[in-house]
Amino acid sequence: MKFSNRYIFIFITIIVVICAAILTFASVGLQPFQKANRERERMSQILQASGYVNVPDVIGFYKKVASDTIIKGEKEELPLIKVKAKNGDTNYVLPLRGKGLWGPIWGFIAVKSDGKTVNGAVFDHKSETPGLGAEINTMKFMAQFEGKLLFDEQGNFSSIKVVKGGVANSNIAPTNGVDAISGGSITSKGLEKMLEDCIIKYVPYLKEIQNKTTTK
Amino acid sequence: MSLKKYLGPLNKDNPVLVQILGVCSSLAVTAQLKPAFVMALSVTIVTAFSNLIISLLRNTIPPRIRIIVQLVVIATLVILVDQVLQAFFYDVSKMLSVFVGLIITNCIIMGRVEAYALSNPPMPSFWDGIFNGLGYGLVLVTLGTVREIFGSGTLWKMQIIPTSFYEHGYLNNGLMVLPPAALILVGVMIWVQRSKG
Repeated sequence: MKFSNRYIFIFITIIVVICAAILTFASVGLQPFQKANRERERMSQILQASGYVNVPDVIGFYKKVASDTIIKGEKEELPLIKVKAKNGDTNYVLPLRGKGLWGPIWGFIAVKSDGKTVNGAVFDHKSETPGLGAEINTMKFMAQFEGKLLFDEQGNFSSIKVVKGGVANSNIAPTNGVDAISGGSITSKGLEKMLEDCIIKYVPYLKEIQNKTTTK
Repeated sequence: MSLKKYLGPLNKDNPVLVQILGVCSSLAVTAQLKPAFVMALSVTIVTAFSNLIISLLRNTIPPRIRIIVQLVVIATLVILVDQVLQAFFYDVSKMLSVFVGLIITNCIIMGRVEAYALSNPPMPSFWDGIFNGLGYGLVLVTLGTVREIFGSGTLWKMQIIPTSFYEHGYLNNGLMVLPPAALILVGVMIWVQRSKG
């Protein structure tokens, strides 16, 4: 059977329109479920950064210990999550957002109530290379952040450096750096930049907290 | 209705072991059983339904644009699977990440559509898709089982190797969680398959 050009155009147009319609309905219909999943994951990561790992009822528990707030930054309003940690201490969880090698990376860093010590950090990524850049999502990498300081001895914001070749072999203070991922240099660099760019906006607020705790 | 004539993909006509199709994803998602199982299920659904749909349309598809039509149908089905996974199996969909989208390029699907569905009626095409998906799934589940037990000591995230083994110096095989181990295992499976004659 011979098909005319006219037939071919009409045929493919109909097929494509039907497929597009099906996908649109699926996407719109499933969105509430997908949104709930992402929200649940966000809560779980915030809790994990503050030291609560493998919580069974994430949403209920999050409502109990965490509260989403917005603080005034220098230029814009900044989201901040206050979490009551296990020892009764208040953790300030800052959301992070940056670029990896292939796509976005993001995470949360929990700062203790002294305004400078890190309680924990969680990172996640969209499409970093498994075994290399994707290692930022492993406990081994994330656990390094516990106890690190965001400020140097003089009290200036130093962020946390992600050091290629290891902190021990560099001239960076061990409290201000973590080991980079071998084979994941671009992701490591992106993560370092994300920490610096995102946390620097919170520095005035963190200093305020530090002053409060020292005067007490 | 006899399904016997469709059983080839499970054994002597296996898509992965004999036709050497879909090897990429068999290496990528089989470090643990759960993602391997979900991947196998997703591919089976996509092969079955793309075969069914293309077979229903087979007399109306102009041969000159048949590949485009096949791709549109397959891509639509894959995106649907991806959306459903994101909505109801979020952790698995994160584990499978880019590989769900890459089902589109899985040669098994296009191969069956082109070789079978275009010239056969809908129901046989549907069963052909199901059994080719299952043949692929058989390899994935076997790989996932072996790699998870020896690589992580667990199966479906449950501890299989008793902790007393670890106390006596047993170690998980680190190679098993990496893709090269899957390549070696696939090689062994092909060897066994071929030597059966």
